[in-house]
Amino acid sequence: MISEFCDWLASTPLSQLFQDLQWFVPLVQTVHILSIAVVVFAIGMLAFRQLGLSANRQSLSAMAQYFLPWVWSALAVLLCTGILLTITEPARELLNDAFRVKMVMVAILAVITRVLQLGLKRDPTFWTSGDVRLLAGRSIAVTSLVLIVCIVTAGRWIAYI
Amino acid sequence: MSIRETCEWLQSLDFPREIRESTWLFPTIETVHVLALVVVVGSISMIDLRLLGFANRERSVTDLTAEALPWTWSAYAVAAIAGLLMFSSKAATYYENLPFRLKMLCMAIAGINMVVFHAVIARKQSDWDFGRPPAHVKLVGGVSLAMWIAIVAAGRWVGFTTV
Repeated sequence: MISEFCDWLASTPLSQLFQDLQWFVPLVQTVHILSIAVVVFAIGMLAFRQLGLSANRQSLSAMAQYFLPWVWSALAVLLCTGILLTITEPARELLNDAFRVKMVMVAILAVITRVLQLGLKRDPTFWTSGDVRLLAGRSIAVTSLVLIVCIVTAGRWIAYI
Repeated sequence: MSIRETCEWLQSLDFPREIRESTWLFPTIETVHVLALVVVVGSISMIDLRLLGFANRERSVTDLTAEALPWTWSAYAVAAIAGLLMFSSKAATYYENLPFRLKMLCMAIAGINMVVFHAVIARKQSDWDFGRPPAHVKLVGGVSLAMWIAIVAAGRWVGFTTV
């Protein structure tokens, strides 16, 4: 059924138009990678700060207030460019296991990043008040780091599997 | 030996041949390259946006560079090594490739721009460390940001022209 959907999507005028423009996929991929740079660096900085491995002297809350709006904007751009790439080559993405795993990991990353943000909104010291929260915050940090590495890896391997 | 001959010699060595003939080596090295370059671009663009006066204006440039540049340089080293390995696998092809040459040109411009920043402009950094940056500082930030966007675009373009 997904395969039929891919065939239909690839036959739509919009998909045909994008397919005919030779510069379209590299250009959209470039915007996609630039947005990934924003997400990876921002999430990485926050995670290393939580793990106490950062040179940043700001509080986690102050860093999150700067970095997280960038993360959400970049994720919106990633969603849009990702949809454009999927419209252009539906079977390349939707039938690809690396793509499917990547989408699940992106969803988990978005959820735990939102959890991190909501905690800080309630109380700027939320993730450092008490051993349980400290452990939970550090678990979020480690999971985020693992996820961004796996997401980028899965994303690149879509082209090869 | 001409550059072309050097490229042909390089790709005739054992490790470039292994990268070229393996099914998984090139994608793996490429993945490392992408992971490293997104850190380079992410960290540099934060500095560039600050130099342009678009973001983080309440923080000093000194603090921001102290936090970001160690990431930039470590990731740059990884990206450069991974990039050299990919280059070695088809050196003569990349050498002839226009997007690849444009990418190298943009990297050279970004490099010169960085040297100008550290050697000349950063000397009077205390004058503009906080608040609105002066025009020449904005120019350096703008050139850097434009070059890194162009480097990513050209890099992606290389992948579509050297199959």
